[in-house]
Amino acid sequence: MSIAKLENIHKTYHIGKIDFPALRGISFSVEEGEFLSIAGPSGSGKTTVLNLIGCLDKPSQGKIFLENKDVSDYPTSKLADVRRHKIGFVFQTFNLIPVLTAEENVEFPLVLEGTKDSKERKHLAEQILIEVGLKDFIRRKPNEMSGGQQQRVAIARALVKKPKLVLADEPTANLDSKTGEEILNIMLELNQKTSTTFIFSTHDKMVMDFARRLIKLRDGKIESDQRGS
Amino acid sequence: MKMLFKLAFRNVFRYKRRTIITFSAISYGLGLMAVGISLYNGVNARAMDNIINYQTAHLKILASGYFEKKDEVPLEFTIDEPQKIKSLLKDNQDIQGIESRILFQASIITGMDELPCLGVAIEPEVDPLVFKIKESIKDGRFLEPSESKIILGSGLARDLGLEVGDDCVLRLFLSTEDFIWNALDLEIIGIAKTENPMVNRQTVFIPLSLAQEALSLENKVTELAIRIKDRNQLLEVKDSIQSQLATLDKNYEVVSFEEYASDFKELMRLRSRIQVLIPLMMILIATLGIVNTMLMAVMERTREIGMLAAMGMRKMEVMLVFIFEGALIGIFGSLTACVIGGLGGWWLETKGFSMSFLGKEMSDMLSFFPVEVFKGDLTVGTLIFTLVLGIVVSILASLYPAYKAVKLDPIQALRHVG
Repeated sequence: MSIAKLENIHKTYHIGKIDFPALRGISFSVEEGEFLSIAGPSGSGKTTVLNLIGCLDKPSQGKIFLENKDVSDYPTSKLADVRRHKIGFVFQTFNLIPVLTAEENVEFPLVLEGTKDSKERKHLAEQILIEVGLKDFIRRKPNEMSGGQQQRVAIARALVKKPKLVLADEPTANLDSKTGEEILNIMLELNQKTSTTFIFSTHDKMVMDFARRLIKLRDGKIESDQRGS
Repeated sequence: MKMLFKLAFRNVFRYKRRTIITFSAISYGLGLMAVGISLYNGVNARAMDNIINYQTAHLKILASGYFEKKDEVPLEFTIDEPQKIKSLLKDNQDIQGIESRILFQASIITGMDELPCLGVAIEPEVDPLVFKIKESIKDGRFLEPSESKIILGSGLARDLGLEVGDDCVLRLFLSTEDFIWNALDLEIIGIAKTENPMVNRQTVFIPLSLAQEALSLENKVTELAIRIKDRNQLLEVKDSIQSQLATLDKNYEVVSFEEYASDFKELMRLRSRIQVLIPLMMILIATLGIVNTMLMAVMERTREIGMLAAMGMRKMEVMLVFIFEGALIGIFGSLTACVIGGLGGWWLETKGFSMSFLGKEMSDMLSFFPVEVFKGDLTVGTLIFTLVLGIVVSILASLYPAYKAVKLDPIQALRHVG
C-alpha cells in the first residue's frame, strides 16, 4: 500500500519580492515499510519535501496523498491531527523538551494522541526506550545525556505511538560518524521489525549507503531514484 | 491536561532567576497593596469613630441656620427648649443618649500666654452616654455638674504648660465681631487625652450650667448631640427624629456625623481616589513582569514550540502551557503577597504607629487629621482580593505571550537558532 504519494509537486517560497522555487514538479510514491533517503546538496529541496509529507507545509501546486487520502487542501487544524496520529518526527537537533525526563519526553506524543491511562503510557515509553538501548537513562533529563542518547530518545518518541510513517530531517548531522551509524542501525532495525516507513533527508554519503531506496534531488527536481538491496 | 500542567510547572523553574524577579515583584507589590488597603480601611474607620466619639456624636439637632455657619461656632442660633425636645425623644428606642451642649469660641490665658480654643459646654452626667471624653481623662478626673472647673485637651495643656490643679482664665467670646467676651477663672480638674488629636489640640470642656451663665444663654444650648444604638440605622433614626421634631413649632435641623464632618469626608474621598491608584500600579508592575518573563520564554523556546506544533500539539494546548506558567507565577506570587500583607496587616492592626515619631512640629501639622495612632484593619476580604487580583492579572498578562507562541509558523520556529 502506498503510504505517501506526491503528484507533480511545486513549492515556491516568496522571500520579499523574490520568488524562490524550492520544488519544481516532483512526483514519487512511498510504499509501506520502505527505508528511504532523500539526498541532495543544500537548497535542493530535501527539507521542503519532508515538510510537505509531514503536513507541516502545503504545496503551491500538485497533490499529496497520505494513505491514499488527499491532504493537499486540509486546513491547518486537520493537518495537526494527521501529524498527531500518523507521523513521527526526528529532528537534526533532537528537540527534546528539556524539563522532561527521557520517559516523559517519549510519553508526550501519547498524551497528545489521547492515551489516557498513564500506566499504559509509561509502560509503552519504557518499552521503546529499552528497545533503543536506553534502559538506564529512562529518568534522565536531556541535558544529562549525550547527543547520540538524545537522538535515541527522539527516535523512541517518534515511534512510541506506532505511526505508519517516521520522518527524520538529517538525523545524524549533529552526531559523530560512529554514533550516526548506531542511530541508523537502530532506525533500520525498527523499520524491519515494525514495518514502519522511514523517510530521512541527508547529504551524508554514509547515510545514503544505509538507505534501501535513494531519491536524489537537485535544484528542486528528482535527479535519480534508485532502489538498493 | 495533567501533562501540560506538569510541563508548565517545570518550565516555571527553568529560568530560576527571572522567575524569582517576577515572583518577587508580584509578592512585594501585591503584599504592600494589601498592607496599604488595611491601613486605609483602619485609619478611615478609626477616623470616623474618633469624629463620632469626641466631636459630633451620631446625630446633632441644631437650630435652623446654625449648620450653614457651623465653622464660625455661632451663638445666635440657639435651641431654646432643649428639655422639651429631650422629653419628646425620650421614648425613642433607637437613641442611647442625648446631651445638651454649647460650642463657643474661647481662649485660654495663662500669665502672658493666650491660645485660642474651642469651648465645649457639656452635661457631665449625660456626656458619657454620648461621648467618650470621660474615658480619655489622663490626669485628674471628669467634671461634676455645676462645678467651676475645666478640662483641657492634652495638646493644649502641653502647649500652655498647664497641669491638673493649675488655674487658668477662660475667655468666652459672646461675639467675635464686636469682641464681646466674658472671662472665668477656673481650676483645671482634668486633662483629656483622646484618640483624636484635633480635640486634644484645641478643645476645653466646662459644665453646661457654667457656660450658660457666662454666655448669657439661660436654659439655651447650641446643639443636642445624640448617640444611637445601631450606627447602621443612622438614616432611619435621623428620619424618625426629624418627623418627631416636625410636631414642634420651631424648625430644627437633624444632621448626621457624615454631613457634619463633610470636610473630612471630602478628604477621604480624595484619599480613596489615590487608593485606587495603588492597586492599578501594582497591576501594572505584575503585568509588565509577567509579560516580560513570558515573552522571553516564548523567544527562547521558539524551536521547542515548533517541535510541539510538529508533533501535532493543538494551538489551544500550546497556549495553555504558557497561560499555566503565568498563572503559576501569579499564584505563588499572590500567596506570598497574602503572607506579606497578612503579617504587615496584623502588625498594623495590633501595634499600629503613631505620628509622634515624626516629631512634635510635624505631628502638630498633621493634627487636622482626627487619628493619633494609625492602625490597620485587616480583613479576609482584603487578602482574598489580593489573591484573586494577582492570579487574574497573571493569567491575563500571559495571554499575549501565549498568543505570540501559537502564531509562530512551525517550520520557521523549527529553523530558529536560539
